[in-house]
Amino acid sequence: MPPKGQEGDSSVGTESNSNSFFTVPAPIKRLFDKFPLTTYPASELPQRSQPNTANQLFVFTDTRGARHGRPSFNPQCLKWQAYLKFVGIDFDITASNNHASPTGALPFLLPALPTDTLNPIPSHKLQKWAIEQVHCEEEQQLNLRFEVYASLLDHRIRHAWLYMLYLDSENFDAVARRLYVEPATTNTIVRAALSHQLQQAARDELLKNSRYIDAADLEGDASGAFEALSTLLGEDEHFFSRPNPGLFDASVFAYTHLILDDTLGWKKNRLAQLLREHPNLVQHRDRLLKFF
Amino acid sequence: MVLQLHVWGPAFSLPSIDAQCLAAIAYCSEVLPKDSWELIASSDPSVSPTGELPALQNGSTWVSRFRNIVDYLRQYSEGAWNLDENLGEVELADSVAFSSFIESRGEPLLDLSLYVTSQNYYNNTSPAYGALLQWPNQWILPPKLHGAAKTRTEYLGLSSLDLAAMEEQRKRDHSAAVAAGKIPKNLIQSPRETVSKLLGRTAQHNQFRLEALTAEFFEPLEAMLARKSYLLPNHSGNPSSLDCVALGYLALALVPELNFPWLRDAMRAKAPLVTAYTERMRSRCFGDVDIKIEHAFQPVGGAEAEFSKLPWRAPGRVSVAAVGTTLLGTLADNTPFLREIRQNRRLKAVVQANGDFSPVQKSLLAQYADSSNKDMLVSVAAAVAGTAALVGYMVSVGLLSFSGGHAEEEQDDDVEIQPEVMHVDPGSAADFLGAL
Repeated sequence: MPPKGQEGDSSVGTESNSNSFFTVPAPIKRLFDKFPLTTYPASELPQRSQPNTANQLFVFTDTRGARHGRPSFNPQCLKWQAYLKFVGIDFDITASNNHASPTGALPFLLPALPTDTLNPIPSHKLQKWAIEQVHCEEEQQLNLRFEVYASLLDHRIRHAWLYMLYLDSENFDAVARRLYVEPATTNTIVRAALSHQLQQAARDELLKNSRYIDAADLEGDASGAFEALSTLLGEDEHFFSRPNPGLFDASVFAYTHLILDDTLGWKKNRLAQLLREHPNLVQHRDRLLKFF
Repeated sequence: MVLQLHVWGPAFSLPSIDAQCLAAIAYCSEVLPKDSWELIASSDPSVSPTGELPALQNGSTWVSRFRNIVDYLRQYSEGAWNLDENLGEVELADSVAFSSFIESRGEPLLDLSLYVTSQNYYNNTSPAYGALLQWPNQWILPPKLHGAAKTRTEYLGLSSLDLAAMEEQRKRDHSAAVAAGKIPKNLIQSPRETVSKLLGRTAQHNQFRLEALTAEFFEPLEAMLARKSYLLPNHSGNPSSLDCVALGYLALALVPELNFPWLRDAMRAKAPLVTAYTERMRSRCFGDVDIKIEHAFQPVGGAEAEFSKLPWRAPGRVSVAAVGTTLLGTLADNTPFLREIRQNRRLKAVVQANGDFSPVQKSLLAQYADSSNKDMLVSVAAAVAGTAALVGYMVSVGLLSFSGGHAEEEQDDDVEIQPEVMHVDPGSAADFLGAL
């Protein structure tokens, strides 16, 4: 078929020697005349977000969790949820998913003030917004180790987490399927496709940095990372000896809480075993859980 | 038993073109007595059963990846070959955190500088690979590595450093103009863009972005190093394993002579102490001479060997069987579906070869590999069913017909005796498109 199309194109192109600079071949033109191309405006926010009385944070959670302000089950969402709580900003949480977000990723926040705005704040601008609201410190500037130790969470622990949640098939069936796939749809085929996509995405992410996935290596890295974080925390209440918990505490809590949370129904939880070897990290998580 | 360290070969006057390999070479040269190890620039990940370089071979035992090599050497020597033994608890924590920081931030920068920046890739990196690889790997591996580096740095949104992609876009535009028949072919010239021109004109935010990325990487290192001679404070006067990792990444940022040296410029401007430290570490671990390919492939004794601190040993000749396996492997890896089956199998094979896994873990990982194979077969079946349904639908609607005449036309396409068969009626193509 394709050769035919090309023949058609060129012959039409050369014989119509019209005065326009670029001539669309007739069959293509006819095709596109039937489908006017338009650019749609950015996706609208979900309808239920309209009554805009309080700050609303959109996260992965279930309806019961949203009503009681329980911690989200997604580490990225939980990090920002915890941070906003720690710096003392009031907000409601709303159950949502990636498709509802203007940037395609959760969390995002719909501020209450000014009232006429419909500009949501994506996660990478949340800290700036919070600093403007309550004038808290930008902690990255205070300690050079902030970014350095944050890389442990963003890489080593995250990779081990991806493996444990998505690629370990027992955990995937028990936890990820229940939390991410089943609320999305009741259609079995769509569920199967979604599960496959999730697992493939996790696999691709892990294969970016190595030629094969080695579970023992990932766990070893995570164990080293926990040890380093435990040493960094030492006997302090919060990281970097701060009087109040801040962004780094929120980032650590986002993973330690979910790893230690038995209500999620983990089938095999090697990371929790590794984490429990460091009692100060476990106590840190228990202290911060009181905010919720 | 002599330990053998297999690495990617030398380039840019460094002993290896890969940061992890450089780190492993630096570590071995610091910790191992000189006659107890050999350095082999095999430059082919398939020499090791783990499929990765750097790989340390001790008889039939293979260990790959920098951290595993460090652990293995410590265990093998019962604690004697260990650079980190004098570190306190806090320093150990810093060592882990800074290694992770250097790897996670340094790798994208090197990817951008050596692979994604087109000028550097085509003028420097690609020829360097050409010199150190043997046939047929020199045609197979560089594009693979190039592609992998592009995927790894996609999220940074700096693909405009990649001129090839923009060039393609421009070519498409030009050929559209040519097809319109308005501009004679020989008058259309594609002006070759340089990165600096491009940055200057269209994408100034790229410069800001690169500025921010390099600052994020170098500033903590500069602050950590301060006036010390090594990154971690210690009293033994020896570098630690963290210094070896740092050397691997920083040397590749500093030493290569590239066409567009934005990374080196940033390093010199933002981190003068780190730059001096990198030079110091480089001459300590790799010797004072610039390392050339010949050093690795035809190591000589005598005076020359004294200069080079590294115990090079020429890699074995590539056998016909190995070449055949590489070619077949590449073919299979490029066939859709086969690729994924092979990937899953790779995971399984490694697991079974590795004695460290408990039987339970082994069976679970094997299960995982099996189940993802099953997933894959399901998607193959779905794709086949989908195509069949589409073809069926097209036949039933009448877009496709399998009448005898058409079939003959298709078969006799390139038979020259019937030139009229080649003539395709433009009208029928239009009908086909119109019917859509």
